[in-house]
Amino acid sequence: MSTNDRTEIIQEQIVALLPRLRRFARNLVRNPHDADDVVQIAVERALLRLDQWRSDARLDSWLFRILRNAWIDEVRSRGRRDKIFMPEEAGEQVGEASMEREMDRLSVEAAMARLPEDQRLAVSLVLVEGLSYKEAADVVEVPIGTLTSRLARGREALQALLKLPQGESA
Amino acid sequence: MTISDETLMAFADGELDAATRAVIEAAMREDPEVFQRVARHRALRAALQGAFSEVLNEPVPERLIAAARRPVATPASNVVDLAQARGAAAREAPRNARPSWRWQPGAMAASLLMGLGLGYLAWHGSPTVLQSSSSGGLVAGRTLAEALSTQLSADRPAGTVAAVGMSFRSKSGDYCRTFSLSGTDAGAGLACREGDSWKIKVLAQAPHAAASSSNYRTAGSEEPAAIRAAVEQSIDGQPLDRAGEIAARREGWATR
Repeated sequence: MSTNDRTEIIQEQIVALLPRLRRFARNLVRNPHDADDVVQIAVERALLRLDQWRSDARLDSWLFRILRNAWIDEVRSRGRRDKIFMPEEAGEQVGEASMEREMDRLSVEAAMARLPEDQRLAVSLVLVEGLSYKEAADVVEVPIGTLTSRLARGREALQALLKLPQGESA
Repeated sequence: MTISDETLMAFADGELDAATRAVIEAAMREDPEVFQRVARHRALRAALQGAFSEVLNEPVPERLIAAARRPVATPASNVVDLAQARGAAAREAPRNARPSWRWQPGAMAASLLMGLGLGYLAWHGSPTVLQSSSSGGLVAGRTLAEALSTQLSADRPAGTVAAVGMSFRSKSGDYCRTFSLSGTDAGAGLACREGDSWKIKVLAQAPHAAASSSNYRTAGSEEPAAIRAAVEQSIDGQPLDRAGEIAARREGWATR
C-alpha cells in the first residue's frame, strides 16, 4: 500500500471520528461553534503530523491529545479561559426530549461544568469516551495514578451533585 | 471484607484483571452494599453518556469534513510543512506537478518580479489588486489587502480573486502571507505586513495560457518554486497554524 493510500485511509478514519471529537471538544468548550473551531484546528494539526502517529496506537486518543493541546493554545491566545465553560451558559439548546430527560441532561451538564478542568477531562475521557485509564493518562500527559485520582474526585463530586440512585435501596 | 472505592471504580471501568474481577463479582453477590456502590458508578457512567450523546447524532459541519479530507503531504498543500514540502518537492516535483500552472522557463524568467531587491516592480493589472507605493515598490490594493487581512489559509471563499496560501513570521519579525490571484491578473506572490500596508516581496505572474485555463482556480494553491524559495529564505520557524492566524488577524497582523 502506498503512503498516499495509507494517508487517505487514515483521513477517512478521522472523518468517522469527527462526531466523537466534537463531543469531546464540547466538554472542553461550551459554545458549540467554538468547540468546532477547536476540532478543526486539531484536525489540521493532525494532518500535518500524520507521520507521528504510530499505527499500533489508538487514533482516537491520539486525536484527543492533539485536540486538548489545540484547546490549551487557543484558550491561551484568546485569553478567555474563564469564559468558555461557564455553567450559566448551559441549556441554550432544548431539543425534543421530554422535559424530565432534558432536566437530567442539563443537570449532568451543569454538574460537569462545575468540576475543575482536570477532573472534567478525566471524567470525559474515561466515562464518556470510554478510554482506558492508561489511554486517558496519555491524552492529558500525566502519570496514570494522577489520572485515576482526578477521575475518583470528579466522580465523587458528580455523584454528590447529581444525587444518583443508590443502587437497590433507591 | 472491605473493598476500596478505587477498586470498585476500576471494576466498573473494566480496568481489573480477571482474578480480581471474580473476587468483586463474588462480593457483589454476597454483600448488597458492594453491589450498590458498583451500581452507583455504573449509573453515573450511564447518566454521562446519555447527557453527552446527542452531538453524536448531529450532522457534522461540512467544514470539518473538508478539513479532514484536505490533500496532505503534497508540495502544494495549503499550510505547508516546510521540511516535508522540501523533501516531497525534491522527490516528486516533475511527476506530481499539476499541469494547470504551466511555468515555462522563459515565461517564468520574464514574469517573475523580485521585490525590494530590485527596487522596482511593474504591474499592469488592476489597481484594486496591486498598487505602486510611494517608495517605488508594490503594495496590495484594496481587494488583495482585504483577502490578506481577513482570510484564513484554510478558507478559500468561492468567487474571490485572491486566495491566501500560508502565513508565517519573517526573520525581520513581520507577518508574511503567500497568495494567489485568479482571473485576468492571474499570478502568485508573497506579501509582508509593514505599517499599514501589505508590501509585495515577490510576485509571479502566470503566463497567459495558464491564466485563461478554466481549472486555474484549483491551481491557486500551487505555489511557484520562486515563491516557495522566498518563503524558505525569510521564514522564522514554522508556518502559522489556524490558531496562530486567528491570533495574528485579531492584532491586525501588527507585530509591534
